[in-house]
Amino acid sequence: MKPIGLVIPVALGLIWEGAVQYGVASGRLMPPPSLLLHATVALARSGELWSHVTATMARIGLGFLFGAAAGTAMGVLNGASPFMRQLLDPTIQALRAIPSLAWVPLFILWLGIFETSKLALIAMGVFFPVYLGVLSAIQGVDRKLIEVGRVFGLTPMGIALRITGPAVLPAWIAALRTGLGLGFMFVVAAELMGASEGLGYLLLDGQQMGRADSILVAMIVFALLGKACDSILVAIGVPLLRWQDTVRARL
Amino acid sequence: MTQLSISHVGKTYADGTEALRDIQVRANEGEIVAILGGSGCGKTTLLRLVAGLDTPSAGTIAVGGETIAGTHPAISAVFQEPRLLPWLKVGANIAFGGQRLEATERQRRAEALIERIGLAGYGGRWPRDLSGGQSQRVAIARALIGHPGVLLLDEPFSALDPFTRSSLHELVLGLWAELKPTILMVTHDVDEAVTLADRIVVMKPRPGRVHESMTVDLPRPRDRLTSAFEMMKRRVLRTIDRSLDAERPPAARPAGPGGASPWL
Repeated sequence: MKPIGLVIPVALGLIWEGAVQYGVASGRLMPPPSLLLHATVALARSGELWSHVTATMARIGLGFLFGAAAGTAMGVLNGASPFMRQLLDPTIQALRAIPSLAWVPLFILWLGIFETSKLALIAMGVFFPVYLGVLSAIQGVDRKLIEVGRVFGLTPMGIALRITGPAVLPAWIAALRTGLGLGFMFVVAAELMGASEGLGYLLLDGQQMGRADSILVAMIVFALLGKACDSILVAIGVPLLRWQDTVRARL
Repeated sequence: MTQLSISHVGKTYADGTEALRDIQVRANEGEIVAILGGSGCGKTTLLRLVAGLDTPSAGTIAVGGETIAGTHPAISAVFQEPRLLPWLKVGANIAFGGQRLEATERQRRAEALIERIGLAGYGGRWPRDLSGGQSQRVAIARALIGHPGVLLLDEPFSALDPFTRSSLHELVLGLWAELKPTILMVTHDVDEAVTLADRIVVMKPRPGRVHESMTVDLPRPRDRLTSAFEMMKRRVLRTIDRSLDAERPPAARPAGPGGASPWL
């Protein structure tokens, strides 16, 4: 990220800080940056912030792993086999049309209130964009490049590994990034549905206790973690996509 | 060196469109045969059948006496567009054509070919950094790295400027002289066909059929400015005109044998 990206948040923070310091606003419902810093330091010193962050990141990590693996496998299966696509894709598309939060009661009923239902919800949020990204990327691979593989003697497996795989890679990484973003969205929903720790729980706790500073700290930490995880995915993708003419534009 | 035989080959698509009918073409070992004809006469379809990318509805294709079905190790191809794999560097793209070679031999040939096609020092570059002519040179090297018995050229020079096209003609002829593959090329450029081919097969359209086959009896290297070259071109053009006349209703035909050729 270039320093210019910090200009707007820093400027808004300074304006708000000034407005509260000079009595233009009370800062009760929207605490100024100095108070948020104070609240963050207090949460960090008590160790509470780290336990919330660890719980949330463990859920996102596992949910993303399961969702991305399942989405990729299903995308590859349906992309490679017209029969499987005809068999499975209509059902998957119908399931995708159900708002994911509508699954919450069923997941709780089936899997209980603890971790399994939360992971299932996050994994489902990640699954659909990854599945769609991989499927459409496989279907969009240039037929002419496949023909090159055939003419030069590649087996179907060789074509999958040496042509389809690299051709799909940019779209796969883009789909993983979308899935990760949805993973962060769904972890909040998962933690709101009954958790004793996690940044989502911190949000809920802040609302119930009237602590706007806790809510804002949780939101800022979410933003920082989300950006950091996305940057890691981009960093992993850049060396693999150096061949692209538009690697910067795509990522 | 390998002989290529196309015997009574036809191609009708699932929707009933007949693209090719009873095609008979033979390319002798080390011979360059040009398939010439206008759009829609099935030139590229024929090449795709020989490459094994499509299946003929009738007839057989044989390489070195062996009837083939699908792709064959002895057949390689250069397409209209370079079709380089963008995620492989230039050297790796050339080596890609030698799937059946042992790794060290593949590497050795790729390095030798990079120099041979005039792109020494480009082995570590991405295809995106190449011009159209350079990309097509790499595609030619990729097709020849495995020393194929039959090389198919599907209008590989059609998108290039005349200078680049001429230098690629020289490159192909040079590599052909060294490796002597049998070449079956598709083109709509009469000049190119006369420059490169030992024999020209003129096709007529709807459905694609062989109209006439003629030998280009000119010594190599061929000089485009000689009267013999010009006479050969005129002969080919007249043949093309006749092939088209046969398809036109009488009223649309040129006035007489002395009528101006639409190709000149």
